[in-house]
Amino acid sequence: MRILVVEDERDFARTLARALEEEGFAVDVAGDGEEGLFLATEIAYAAIVLDLMLPRRDGWSVLDTLRRGGRQTPVLLLTARDTVDDRVRGLNLGADDYLVKPFALAELVARLRALIRRAAGEVAPVVAIGHVRVDTAARRVELAGLPVELTAREYAILELLVLRRGRLVTRAEIHEHIYGDAADVLSNTIDVHVASLRRKLGRDVIETRRGLGYRIDA
Amino acid sequence: MLESLRVRLLAWYSLILVIVIGTFGATVCYLYWRSLVREIDLDLGERARAVASALRPAPGGTFDLELPAAGGRDFGGPGEGAPYYAIWTAAGALVAASEPDPGEPPPAAPATRRLAGRREVVVTAAGGAIVLVGRDAADARREVWSLAGTVGTVGLLALGLSLAGGWFLAGRALAPVARISRTAAAMSAGDLAARIPLERTESELEQVAVSLNAAFDRLEQARRMERRFTADASHELRTPLTTLWTETEWALARPRAGDEYRQSLKTCLAAAVRMRAVVEGLLTLARADAGETEPTRVAVGLRRVAEEAVALLRPVAERRRIAVTGGGDEVGVAGDPDRLREMVSNLVSNAIGYNVDGGTVDVVVTHAGGARLTVADSGVGIAPEDLPRVFDRFYRADPARARNPGGAGLGLAVAKAVAESHGGTIGCTSEPGRGTRVEVVVPIADCRLPIDD
Repeated sequence: MRILVVEDERDFARTLARALEEEGFAVDVAGDGEEGLFLATEIAYAAIVLDLMLPRRDGWSVLDTLRRGGRQTPVLLLTARDTVDDRVRGLNLGADDYLVKPFALAELVARLRALIRRAAGEVAPVVAIGHVRVDTAARRVELAGLPVELTAREYAILELLVLRRGRLVTRAEIHEHIYGDAADVLSNTIDVHVASLRRKLGRDVIETRRGLGYRIDA
Repeated sequence: MLESLRVRLLAWYSLILVIVIGTFGATVCYLYWRSLVREIDLDLGERARAVASALRPAPGGTFDLELPAAGGRDFGGPGEGAPYYAIWTAAGALVAASEPDPGEPPPAAPATRRLAGRREVVVTAAGGAIVLVGRDAADARREVWSLAGTVGTVGLLALGLSLAGGWFLAGRALAPVARISRTAAAMSAGDLAARIPLERTESELEQVAVSLNAAFDRLEQARRMERRFTADASHELRTPLTTLWTETEWALARPRAGDEYRQSLKTCLAAAVRMRAVVEGLLTLARADAGETEPTRVAVGLRRVAEEAVALLRPVAERRRIAVTGGGDEVGVAGDPDRLREMVSNLVSNAIGYNVDGGTVDVVVTHAGGARLTVADSGVGIAPEDLPRVFDRFYRADPARARNPGGAGLGLAVAKAVAESHGGTIGCTSEPGRGTRVEVVVPIADCRLPIDD
């Protein structure tokens, strides 16, 4: 899942990005409000972590502009200013969740996953496709009741396909969500991961639309 | 309490009204009585004179009375208020009377007298005869009583009306008090946005309301500033704490390489340094706000303090090729050397932090209207609209501007607090794009400076 972190504290932004990447997210970082708004408008992120006190354009304005522009990306507000007014204002402008600094990483990650799940129309964290059970909260996969070991990339691809099941997901979308901008990956890497997933979960779970992308049946 | 004020007002009002109406009614009745009595007396006098003139002294000390000559006036008729007469000789012997028993002759003549509810007029006729004419005044009394009854009824009605009006007016006059007290109650219950609704009248109470509203405005403003300060302080403390927390959590999540640990600890150290700066600044401000009970006051050379601060910051400046120059005269002030050093250090690090790479910072101490410290830089400057607020706590001008490393927006506020606690002033002028100049003036101390070692 590709997410955007808009945060002006460089040290904190770096730490956060690193920690979220270890949790399987592809993370882009914007250092001020204008850059954040630009990225959020240009790229279809799975979620946005938005600090409120930002240089050049504050978080409320970023959020407001984004929502007025029709972007429905889930937004989690992050701020060190813990006043009710700040929170209410943020939520009224269309934020989906709110976390006050400092926070435990695990909580941020859990909230982000919940937001992404909900945005995909999924309420329960566990999704069953045939014999395959995908637990998006614990990031575990079972086949016929037995745990399956997946690499981080494999899991990320599976999760994306599961959250968008019934719909076609193009290679470009997968690429964008798994690697973000930074990585320059060989074009057939995704095919390799998908082949590996088929080996582990069974041939029929992921359907290939030649030249277009992949799909998991609803 | 309010109701009792209204009731007390009304009680006094009604007391005064009762006295006024009572006095007025009594006066009216008395005057009417007097005019009635005068009429009776005049009538009786006329009758008496008529009787006297009808009296002919007869030989032998007696008198002839030819009453019909008196104009045919009848005496002793039936009914109330009918006049009667009696005539005595000078010696006191009864000559004639319209009544069977006229009683004792009057002691003196002429006279007008009241006797047992009657009016009587006594005159002396020819030959020393004494003539008395009288009548009962009961009808006049009744008339006066009836007037008194009317006056009393009307007075009571007027009193009732006035009381009702007074109650209404007192209520109206006190209504603003009720408004004011309701608002004040809401205010003290925590509703800081409550204001007394104003009416267009310019009564004294409206003035009170206006003054109170102004006071409420100031209270709300102070409260808002306090809230902002708390929110800002928590922001400045939480931001490095968040970095510290997240960084530590990340580092501990799994075994890391040595380099990663080193990088992590560096980040933590930077966060701790920043937190210390905020905590120190807040402490200094809190101390200044509370007013130190025993401020340190020793002879301090301002230039020396400035040079020490500059020496500490020079490495930071050199990293950005900023030239920091110092100079001027040594001027002695009475103060706390640590606080003064903190002040200079804040000013100089601002001058470095908001400077351009390769810029200059000039720190000069002179005798000019006191001990004058000037810190001038060639930095980005401050926009005119931000200038009045740069000494506010946590105020940062344009947030888009590069942040002064480690700064929390407290530096100038702390400098101001230190300058003011030393009886001095601080001022700032700036030209955007060309630089900023901060001047501190503290009183010169007439004292011997410690000799340089």
